[in-house]
Amino acid sequence: MTQPRTHGIVVSGVGGQGALSLAQILLEALRRTGLHALQSEIHGMSQRGGSVHAHVCYADFPITSPIIDDGCADLLIALEPLEALRHVALLRLDGALVVSEEPQTAMEGYPPLDDVYAALKAVPGAHLLDTEDLARRLAHRQAGGMALLGMASRFLPVSETTWRVVIAERFRAKGPRVTDKNLEAFEEGRDRVPV
Amino acid sequence: MNQSTLSLGVEAVGMAAFDAGIKGAFGYPGTPSTEGFECVEALIQAADDGRVAQWAANEKVAYDLALGMSYAGFRALVTMKHVGLNVAMDAFVNSALTGVHGGLVVLVADDPGMHSSQNEQDSRRLAAFAGVPCLEPSTVEECYDFTLRAFALSEQLRVPVMVRLVTRLAHCRANLRRQPSAGPAGLGVAPLATVQDWVLIPSNARRRYRDLLAKGPALTTELAPMNRAIPGGSRRGVALAGLGRAYFHQVSQDYPELQAMPRLEVAAYPVDPTVESAFLAQVDEVFVFEEDHPYLEERLALRESASIHGRLDGTTPRTGELAPRILKEALGVSLPSGKNAITLELPVRAPRFCEGCGHVDAYQALQAALTLAGVPETRVFGDIGCYTLAAQEPMGAIHAVVEMGASISMALGAALAGQAPAVAVIGDSTFGHSGLPALLTAADAGANVTVVILDNRVVGMTGQQPSQALDQVERMVLGMGVASAQLQVLTPLPKQHEANVQALNAALRHPGLSVVVFRRECIQSLRRGLLRDHDREAKLAGPAACGVASCCPEALS
Repeated sequence: MTQPRTHGIVVSGVGGQGALSLAQILLEALRRTGLHALQSEIHGMSQRGGSVHAHVCYADFPITSPIIDDGCADLLIALEPLEALRHVALLRLDGALVVSEEPQTAMEGYPPLDDVYAALKAVPGAHLLDTEDLARRLAHRQAGGMALLGMASRFLPVSETTWRVVIAERFRAKGPRVTDKNLEAFEEGRDRVPV
Repeated sequence: MNQSTLSLGVEAVGMAAFDAGIKGAFGYPGTPSTEGFECVEALIQAADDGRVAQWAANEKVAYDLALGMSYAGFRALVTMKHVGLNVAMDAFVNSALTGVHGGLVVLVADDPGMHSSQNEQDSRRLAAFAGVPCLEPSTVEECYDFTLRAFALSEQLRVPVMVRLVTRLAHCRANLRRQPSAGPAGLGVAPLATVQDWVLIPSNARRRYRDLLAKGPALTTELAPMNRAIPGGSRRGVALAGLGRAYFHQVSQDYPELQAMPRLEVAAYPVDPTVESAFLAQVDEVFVFEEDHPYLEERLALRESASIHGRLDGTTPRTGELAPRILKEALGVSLPSGKNAITLELPVRAPRFCEGCGHVDAYQALQAALTLAGVPETRVFGDIGCYTLAAQEPMGAIHAVVEMGASISMALGAALAGQAPAVAVIGDSTFGHSGLPALLTAADAGANVTVVILDNRVVGMTGQQPSQALDQVERMVLGMGVASAQLQVLTPLPKQHEANVQALNAALRHPGLSVVVFRRECIQSLRRGLLRDHDREAKLAGPAACGVASCCPEALS
């Protein structure tokens, strides 16, 4: 039995991709699981297509800091490859990275894609997902985020039932079709990571 | 009720204000305070029990609204960001002298690290300056509890009470359990016997200032339980406030050896010097962790009884926000080794204008017009809003951004120094916030200034809140004394580019005050349909003549 400690998840992406929504789903799922969880996010100018990230901390004891330090994150979920690289140093040695391969290049000086992918693949514990292909196959433009969450779910102490309940609640207002599409994407991602 | 919800820290303040039975909430949007107002606004709308949530034209107006509501015997909340308190400072400082009737709580959200602000001033100093008590929570739960306490304290001591948050707490999301909600209970209008308290002519003000100072001992007694000197088993201690308190508790769970350190925990100001003395008597060395200015640190350093480490001696960074890492480094605990940072150079992904934003078309027309006029190097005075993004390269279209409303008066000052053309760019909401008096002075001075108002019909940057200037901009401009011949209303669209350049060129060449309004709804607001109902109703009501031919010709024909 390891000593109880605080766990950390970092979610990163580009403003408008839904990184903060994804973090909220994580937070709700952890809370439903009976864990103490906190989320830190930055609003304002960062939402206008700039870099966006959120920290989610959880433990089975009360916690008070929503901020994750270098080397303390168990998991990094990145909706965009360059936005993954910015946060790799936050990961523990045994931390996992789930990341979309789909670049958002509308910015000054985006590095050569081959360099970005090479850097990602060099990160131990990295799991890449071709979200563009997945979105096409599932005929669901927004499938990527949910599939990444599905992959991430393999590293988190939340039951599949809880995930499904939280996701369904999140999309309830948008109708059963949208909910099913998102659950489908979640399962697709979950199947990508071996148990 | 006892509901449990996920809530931001700043929303917890709003919920507590609602549950404390406020009659009204007032504010001006500003990150990271905005969601506090929006939360209480949603609760008030859902309750539909005669309470009000009203955005104000600026923070001073918001503060005065809250003070008036207090005078009328009801509890009120007023929300703003730290620099907004500067705008409300006159009201804030003087309300400490008048005192309050119904409880008045001012939520101020500071922004250490300047995530979306022009400075990182510390509102604790402004509370001390005004002689107003300040409560500083460290967790979302405390945001709620402290706000409830602030209302009780405000009515008990008859002073406004500040609840000070910082960005990381304002935007920290956590589980929150609310208490049963109380409806607004009116105390009736401030009694006749107290009328002179509210009339701050010098004879009364002198008395009220003494009265305010005389509240000190009672205040100290009330706040005493919130500030504690906790003994330990070491001569090295920590002094903690706000998130410094939260971070230390977290770090000391992961590094139990730190739990032996004596602690000074501060959650309310002013701090009783006897608590500081009790703490200092136990230690030879103190590490201070607080957000923003070295406020507590300066107080402790003045005592000269222990060696004080913090922002002043360089143990922690002098600027920027606190982080658990800073505590760990200062206290010398071993840092975990994680994955290696990426060696590939990672360029910054700066925020950008939204695809299809009208501001871009307006700026392109302005830059083309300045080139056409032969003055492409003209320094343009900008203002605060989404359109501030134009200061970034490659656009580089504005060259000064200082505070809300500064564009017009700075352009006027430059014009009076001989700069020609002198150009100001300001948004519709910022214009209503504090551009109006500047335009009044510009019209009076008769100087050669071109004012470009970017009217996107909402408060865009903070999340498309309603703009008080909606459909009013031309009338406001004319009302300030601008000649109607020198007011043009344009549509910032690519297909209008040439016409817009010509119109701007004419304004730039006019040797006096001219105003060009670019109007097109914020693309985000359009997508969300925020003005759909408003515009449908306005259309049904028929065109309104504003007196400007280029704006509503059909109404004038």
